[in-house]
Parts: sequence; C-alpha cells; structure tokens
Amino acid sequence: MFPVFKAQLRKDKRNPVTIILFIVASIAATLIFGNSTIESNTEVAIFSSGPSAKEIENKWENLLNKNESSTFVITEEDKAREDVIEGRRDVAIHVMENDYRLVTSSYMPQILLVEQQVQEVFRKEAQLVAAAGNENTDELRSDIEEYMEDPPLQVQTQTLNEADVSKHDMGIQLLFGFTLFIVMFTIGFKVNGITADKVNGIWNRMILSSVSKTSMYSGHLCYSFCIGFFQTLIVFLIFKYVMGYDLGNFSMILVIVAVYIVSMVSVAMLFTGILRTPEQFNMVFSSVIPIIPIISGVYMPPGTISNVFLQFIADLFPLTHAMDAVLHVAIHDAGWSDITLPLVIMLLIGVVSMGVGINMVERRK
Amino acid sequence: MLETINLSKNFKDKKVVDGIDMYLEQGESVGLLGPNGAGKSTTISMISSLLKPTSGDIKLGGKSIVRNPSEIRDVIGVVPQEIALYEELSAYENLKFFGEIYKVKKGVLENRIQEVLEMVGLKERQKELIKTFSGGMKRRINIAAALMHKPQVLILDEPTVGIDPQSRNRILETVRELNESHGTTVLYTSHYMEEVEQLCNRVYIMDHGKVIASGSKTELLSILSSELTVQVQLSETSDHIIDTIRLLDHVRHVEETNEGIRIISKRDANILSAIVLAAEKEGIQVTHYQMETPSLEDVFLHLTGKTLRD
Repeated sequence: MFPVFKAQLRKDKRNPVTIILFIVASIAATLIFGNSTIESNTEVAIFSSGPSAKEIENKWENLLNKNESSTFVITEEDKAREDVIEGRRDVAIHVMENDYRLVTSSYMPQILLVEQQVQEVFRKEAQLVAAAGNENTDELRSDIEEYMEDPPLQVQTQTLNEADVSKHDMGIQLLFGFTLFIVMFTIGFKVNGITADKVNGIWNRMILSSVSKTSMYSGHLCYSFCIGFFQTLIVFLIFKYVMGYDLGNFSMILVIVAVYIVSMVSVAMLFTGILRTPEQFNMVFSSVIPIIPIISGVYMPPGTISNVFLQFIADLFPLTHAMDAVLHVAIHDAGWSDITLPLVIMLLIGVVSMGVGINMVERRK
Repeated sequence: MLETINLSKNFKDKKVVDGIDMYLEQGESVGLLGPNGAGKSTTISMISSLLKPTSGDIKLGGKSIVRNPSEIRDVIGVVPQEIALYEELSAYENLKFFGEIYKVKKGVLENRIQEVLEMVGLKERQKELIKTFSGGMKRRINIAAALMHKPQVLILDEPTVGIDPQSRNRILETVRELNESHGTTVLYTSHYMEEVEQLCNRVYIMDHGKVIASGSKTELLSILSSELTVQVQLSETSDHIIDTIRLLDHVRHVEETNEGIRIISKRDANILSAIVLAAEKEGIQVTHYQMETPSLEDVFLHLTGKTLRD
C-alpha cells in the first residue's frame, strides 16, 4: 500500500497547484458569497426629497434603526440611486412624510425582508399617529415604550430541549457548503488515478508485482482520503483560527468531515466503476458534482428546497447528510446522538458505493 | 523452464489464441513473430498471468501456474507495449516506485536503480521527468522498470514501436546484453522481422491466433530451401504483366514493391528466362534483376501469403 500511496504523494509534491487552488477557492468562495449575503442584509440607504427632506430622513432613520437586523443609513439621493443602478446596493428607500418607495433593480429575497421591516415600522407609526389624534405623538410613543418594557403578554421561543433557539448563520453554512463541495473535486480527481493507472498500464504492472490488489486499491483510496481531509482541515483551521469563525465543537466537525470524505471517496469509486477512461471521468464527474450542492440546498437557507424528488436525489449523496450534521454541531450545539443518523447514512452510502464501484472496476475487461 | 500447452483464449465467440504450444529454455532468447492482431499480446498476457486462458496450461519448471500465478510473477519481468510509467515523476522516482512494489530491499534498492539506469544508458538523466523524455528514452525506462527485481525471464511486447533508429539499436543492445551477459531468458514479440533475426535463437511465427511455424532461424529458412526469390525491375509495370508472371509455371508468389516486382518461385525452375520472355511479349524490358537468399520475411510470406506489416 505504501509504495502506491507514496507515488501519489510524490506526484502531488511535484505539482501541488491543484490542491492549493482548491484550498484558495474554498476560502474565496466562502468570503465572497458569505459576506455578500450578510452585507446586503445589514445596510440599506434611505433618502428623502423636498424642503423638509432632512427632517423626514432623521425621523425615519431613528425609527427604522430600532430594528437591529438591518442598518438604515441616510445617503444623498443621487448616490443612493446610483449605487442601486451600479449594483453596489440591492435596495434604497425613498422615505416620505407618511409613506415610502423602494428603489431596486430586481425583486430579490433579501429585498422582501427589508420591505417587511420597513412596512412594519411605517404601519406602527401610522397606528400611533391615528391613536394620538390631536395629541402629541412622541408622548404617546414614549408611553407605549415604557409600557412595553414590562408587557402583560410575553412570548419566549425555545427548542424542544428547552434551549434558546439559535439564529441560523448563512456565513457558516456557506463555509461548510463550499469547503465540502470543492473537496469533492479533489477526491474525485485523486480516485480517478486508478482509472489512469489502468489505462496507461501501470495497474497491470502492479498486478504482476508483489503488491496485492487490496494494497493497490488501499494505496489509492487512502491517499484520496488523506488529501481530501488535509484540504478540508486547512480551510477550517484558517477560518477558525485566522478569521475567527465559530465552528462549534471542532473535534466533532472533524469526525463528520472524516466520515463524509470516506463516503465521498466511495462515491468517486462508484463513478470510476461506471466510467471507462480518465477523460470520461473528468467530464461526467465535473458535470454532475456541481448539481449536488444546488439540489441539496447548500447555498440556500434551510427548507428552501421542498421538491420531494430533488430531496430524494440529494439524499443519495453524502453532502446533504454532512451539511445536516455539521450545521447541527456548529449552529445548534448538537451532541453525538443528534448526528448519529447522518453519520450512519454516510457510512452506508460509502459501503454500498465502494462495493459496487470496486466490483465494476474488477469486472471490466 | 517455461512452456505453454494447447493454450487458447476466447473473447466472447472469437478465438484470439488457438491451441499454442511453445517452450522457453533457460537463458534462451525466443522471438514471437506475427502481424498486428495475430494474438501475440494475448499470448504473453496469459503467460505473464494477467489473463486467464480459456483452455490449456502454462507450466513453470513443470508446475502449472494457471491456478497459482504468484510463482511466475516472482520470476518474470514484463515490458508492456504501452509506456506504463508515471509521466509526472522522474526516471529515478519511477524506478524507485517499481523497486518498492517488487519489494526490493531498501539496502539494495539504490544500487539496483543505478544499475538498471546504467544498463539502459540513462544514468545521467535520472532526475528528469518522464514527460520531458523522447519516445525512445521513455521506452528504455519502460524496460528498466521491468528489470528492477532481476527477473529470470524478460517478456517484451513490441518494445521498439514508434521510436527512432538510435533508440531502437540501444534497446536491442540492452536486450542482447541481458540475454548474453546476465543469462536472462528473453521472450521478444515484434512484427519487425529484422529485430527477431538479430536477437533470437528460436522463433515462433503466429498468425490468426495459431503458431504456424517454429524453430531456429536456419530451420525456418529451410522451409524455403526449395524456393528462390527474384527481385525484378521492368521498363514499365502494369497489372497485366504482374498477372502474366503470376500465371507462369513454378511461380508461388508475386508482389509489387518499392524496388520493383518480387517473385518467389521453385528453385530449380528457369524462372528468369521465363520472366524475360513474358515481358518481351508485352513489349517491356527487364532493366534490372537480383536473385536473393530467402529471409524470415519470405518464410512468413510463404506461410501466410501476406507480409508482416499487412
């Protein structure tokens, strides 16, 4: 096993560009997409027009910023409009005395969230003005705020085990999603080395040597596992210790990643069994793999993919189960018993794919 | 030392190798000749235990190795037709890898690598990547990889395909040296008659999966002892004159070559005057003729009715 393992390692030592590129791609994708999601949800430009523009802007800035999920910033009207046109911001709000207009180029999901917040504030304000009648609105507002500090009805949301409901962090989800997605390519291309060895005759030479078939397979597969795990570990370590991301219980995350990589090596082995040449493998694997995170909902908030057929297809690949497990650990502080099912499913996918894959490779003439 | 008994291989309904009997004595150099598709590669795949025969047996030192291939694997070194090397690694790293998979002991591995590099004449270029090598150099390292474990029998499957004459001579020299100086038994397959003539003590000629002739070069040439080869150049050639010559008494084979017309006929016949007469009747002059001693190529032609590279 070790000579085969070492030969693969020597090849990558000679040309480590692919691995480095994949590590950089994992980090860059997380930073670009993770941060853009957060940014678009947090800062919204507001502006007004007319002689009392300043007054109106100040009034609504105060009221809108009472909600902490978004920050509303007074901006020059021209600049706000230009930012939207140039795509620097998704939305700006033209505030008026008792009304508002959304300035946007397209109707994206995050705009819907902003509109909900703005609408809520304007509706409350309209109710307040109506309730105050001829009285002073500010006085009524402070009375209500004072009253609401100790409201008669209090609702507290808890999880089933009475813990606080944690907030879903899309940044963390994308970090795991991109890393586990990109490592699929690394694993696939390394397992493809078996087909390459078969096609160029090295496999036959190994069969004639003192190395057993088990050692030949384990050399290749162990190397694919190690390089995949190494890549993931590097990315997670950078995010945890350099960028300060909270990844939850790190040892549990690493166990999940290890099981995921074992499972993914097996899936790549299944592809190797089905496809005859390294070129076929590269073409089909590279075409199929990018679809998996999309149907698994890796790039979207949980629950977005509701189609049963897509969910079934996604369940056939380890990525869905790995994402399920790592997000439970990182966001919801799940314990071992909570992630046992996804781990077992991943191992099951691994055993079946490996069995079928090796069988098909061996049957091929 | 090594023998095949009624060895056959079928792929689906097609019989690729059909009842081959052959043997190799220790220290001998044996050629396996045949055109593309004759079944040479399938035969050596079975001998080297990569393919299971459909029927028949392969014996090493009198013991069947069909069910227990590990015995022959320790003894043979196989040089495949394709370049079976890691292109991304250097010559040294490739040989180290093959030494390791053959479990060459750590203490002797380094020496052995240098030894085989010396044999194939690439010691100076050992640190260079295989992908930067010429076709001939790659083929030499391909041979070197099969020598790492000092095999008693070296099986070479067309090791000189597609390379320049210098590299080809170097490879033939290496194989000859291995056979003569190191006592390695060689089974050399090729469709280049001259290589086999140069290297081998005995030859098996294969066609359509069967051994159609075997023996030493002299034995094979004696098949044509009753025949004569004449190379004729005419002032002009046409299909008609070729057909006319073909119909002459005692003519066995006629073919048009780059040098003119090649005719094989019965030795005693007065073939030359018959050809001159036939040509004159057509108003054609014989401008040049040459009587030739038959070669193995002629033997192959005689046995199969076609040339080796058809």
